Amino acid sequence: MKRANILLYNIGAVAVGLVISACLLLFLGVDPISVCGQTLGKILSDKYNVGEVLVKATPLIFTSLAFAFTYKANLFNIGAQGQFLMGSIVAIALSLALQDVVPTFLLLLLVLLGSFAAGAVVGGLIGAAKAKFSANEFLVSMMSTYVVTNFMDYLLRTSLQETKAEYMQTDAISSSAYLPNILPGTRVHLGFALAVVVAVLIWVLLNKTSLGFQIRAVGKNPSAAGLGGINAKAITIIAFLISGGLAGLAGLTEINGVQHMLLRDFNASIGSYGIGIAILANGNPIGCIFASILFGFLNIMGTTMGRLPGLSIPASIIELIEGIVMICVIISYAARYYMENRSEKRRMRKAGA
Amino acid sequence: MGTPAVELQHVTKCFAKVVANKDVSLTVNAGEVVALLGENGAGKSTIMKILYGLYGMDEGKILIRGEEVQIKSPADAMSRGIAMIQQHFSLVPTHTAAENIILGNVHGYIPIKEYEEKLKKIAQEHGFDVPMDRPVGQLAVGQQQKIEILKALYINTSILIMDEPTAVLTPQESDNLMQFIKNFAAKGNSVVFITHKMKEVMEVADQIVVMRNGVVVDKVRREETNEQALAHMMIGQDIVPPARTDSGEETGEEILRFENVSFQEKRGTALLQDISFTLHGGEIFGIAGVSGNGQDEVCDIISGVKRPTAGRLFFCGEDISQTSIRARNAAGIGYVPVDRYRDGMVMDMTLAENVLLKGCFDKKWINKGFIRERLLNKYTDEIIQKHRVKATGWSDMAGGLSGGNQQKLVLGREVDVGTRLLVFNQPTRGLDMGAVDRIHHVIMEEKAKKKAILLVSTELTEIFEMCDRIAIMHNGRFMGIYRNGELTTEQIGLLMAGVEEKKEAAQ
Repeated sequence: MKRANILLYNIGAVAVGLVISACLLLFLGVDPISVCGQTLGKILSDKYNVGEVLVKATPLIFTSLAFAFTYKANLFNIGAQGQFLMGSIVAIALSLALQDVVPTFLLLLLVLLGSFAAGAVVGGLIGAAKAKFSANEFLVSMMSTYVVTNFMDYLLRTSLQETKAEYMQTDAISSSAYLPNILPGTRVHLGFALAVVVAVLIWVLLNKTSLGFQIRAVGKNPSAAGLGGINAKAITIIAFLISGGLAGLAGLTEINGVQHMLLRDFNASIGSYGIGIAILANGNPIGCIFASILFGFLNIMGTTMGRLPGLSIPASIIELIEGIVMICVIISYAARYYMENRSEKRRMRKAGA
Repeated sequence: MGTPAVELQHVTKCFAKVVANKDVSLTVNAGEVVALLGENGAGKSTIMKILYGLYGMDEGKILIRGEEVQIKSPADAMSRGIAMIQQHFSLVPTHTAAENIILGNVHGYIPIKEYEEKLKKIAQEHGFDVPMDRPVGQLAVGQQQKIEILKALYINTSILIMDEPTAVLTPQESDNLMQFIKNFAAKGNSVVFITHKMKEVMEVADQIVVMRNGVVVDKVRREETNEQALAHMMIGQDIVPPARTDSGEETGEEILRFENVSFQEKRGTALLQDISFTLHGGEIFGIAGVSGNGQDEVCDIISGVKRPTAGRLFFCGEDISQTSIRARNAAGIGYVPVDRYRDGMVMDMTLAENVLLKGCFDKKWINKGFIRERLLNKYTDEIIQKHRVKATGWSDMAGGLSGGNQQKLVLGREVDVGTRLLVFNQPTRGLDMGAVDRIHHVIMEEKAKKKAILLVSTELTEIFEMCDRIAIMHNGRFMGIYRNGELTTEQIGLLMAGVEEKKEAAQ
């Protein structure tokens, strides 16, 4: 019943956020109801557009899982962007080197492991800095993104640069290295299915295994966990390793699933969106799937709105909407807490009187 | 007698999970000492915090000197001459005594020397000897309490509330405090003091208000009652202390041995100095002392949270000075820590998960990395039944249980972990008498199973009731190890205060 309550509050908050956002359209001098109606119509009537929602959601599921995972250990990995880029670098390098050499299945498996490992190395270093030197993981993970970004730019200018050596980008990979499409008529690729499976696995890991239990125990009460013989430092490193690996997997889905090449400013904001989405989902891996789809949808809605003829709505309005929705959800947590407390208290008083 | 200084009428206060006070009415007259007696969790502190403006009330009225008032904050209370000394002092440890006392009552430029002089005068009037110019963090607890009292005197308090004032004091310091309370009341002031110790009540109180489960059970004059009657009122039933079976000589095998163990923090002062003792199976070894004299460090060193900086520690003949906590748990050392909120439990996890806390490496509960939930849940329900934990089942959140029930669950878990040695650090602190009774019985049962038991307690009655041998700690040192019955309360009090005894410690 409590879980149902959380869901109800979340849906309510999202709805309120969307209504407030719709009202903002009034400032642009357009009729919100008709604009939203048109936009929704356009998205829902076209299978391709619906597919795009899932395509956009795929990397967000991974980056939000990355944040949610360390969040359970009361650690903050805000460097998912950097771990994602490192995963992308390894994904493109492996794909370019091995495409047409090994069979597609084997190649994709290698890229999967490679991008996970790449993200995990970046994450693990942050975790190690935290465990060994009590470095502030917040700062280290944030700055690690800049390091990786510049490392990527360096590679794009040197060893990974396209054969034409004109732009800062790599060659496109051959179609044998693509993630297979799973919904004909759209761009939805196997990566989406992978993301959903991984989210479920992460849920199982956190709730059903000894390791997951240790991570949660350290997050909630490191002192009591320590007396249970749990090594909090090791848990910190492991949590960051897995978290980084999850973000790295987004490299696979974006390189082999969508973009098919690596270029400058590649998906520059999926790391930060991941943080918001994880908070929206209250750190629940399953919730991350749905929250990511919501954000994928908002994203497509923004682009579609911007393309509505004769209205000149800036596509950036969607960032505003995303922000408002997120604030509403966070407020709803506080509201729920307050309401539950109050009703409990009223019940007690009735029982006491 | 005129108008009463304070009158509370039909006060009710609910928290989210409990009714803390229900229809509480009480009267405090000028020049009177009122003792608020009751078990922990009876609602004594809550009612006084309402009077002091820390909590709002849901229903009821407060009358100060016959006039109905709204007390919304401690500032309101102070302006009406009410002061409260909390159980945990509210002093800034790095500030001097004088600075602490004037805190919140000064503005702009502060002529600190003048204040110090003024405060010294107030202190002398009441026979307090407190250095005004030293950081309070460096002072003894008894001194700190005097500063708290001076804070109240400085703002011309006429109604002084004290929450468990003697909990942290040695017997001698308590006597001084009682004397102060008598003198202070004799000048026409009122004192309310919250306690669960019958002895103090009988010593100084004029009126005794007994509370149980949030309601006032009875109000009596001291002359009309006695300790037995009060105890009965407090608990609502008679308590039978467990029969102590004296083990006589230490016949059991040696379980734990401290060899000249010392401990100090990096660049800190020594917290433990040269501690040596041996603990045998089937024996309860008590450590008495005012809290904060190194008892926690002894427990930490046994559990493995801290490593001795000198000396060695043997468990069943093996040197375990440097082994991990995990290895010690596996070897059969159970530990009930003093602060279960911090060290014993994870409050927003289920009871089953809290049981798993000590077993997350144990093959018994973990199968190929996965938790064997059905088994664990069943075992948790067994603990709940066996130790009479008031909970609906394994899926309850630990934080939703009362303190006594949380402690019973921790106890149930630890007695199974500690197959050979059990360490109890103030296991009954802050618990109601029903839970205390249950815990004492469990400790006796474990002793009968020939486990070695270390019991740290600040309550001398508990020490006398349970232990075979008693060590008294002061300032990180053992003042001596005695058989139970060798010392009187008086002598232990002196040792706790650090006064060396001439007689050689009998081993």
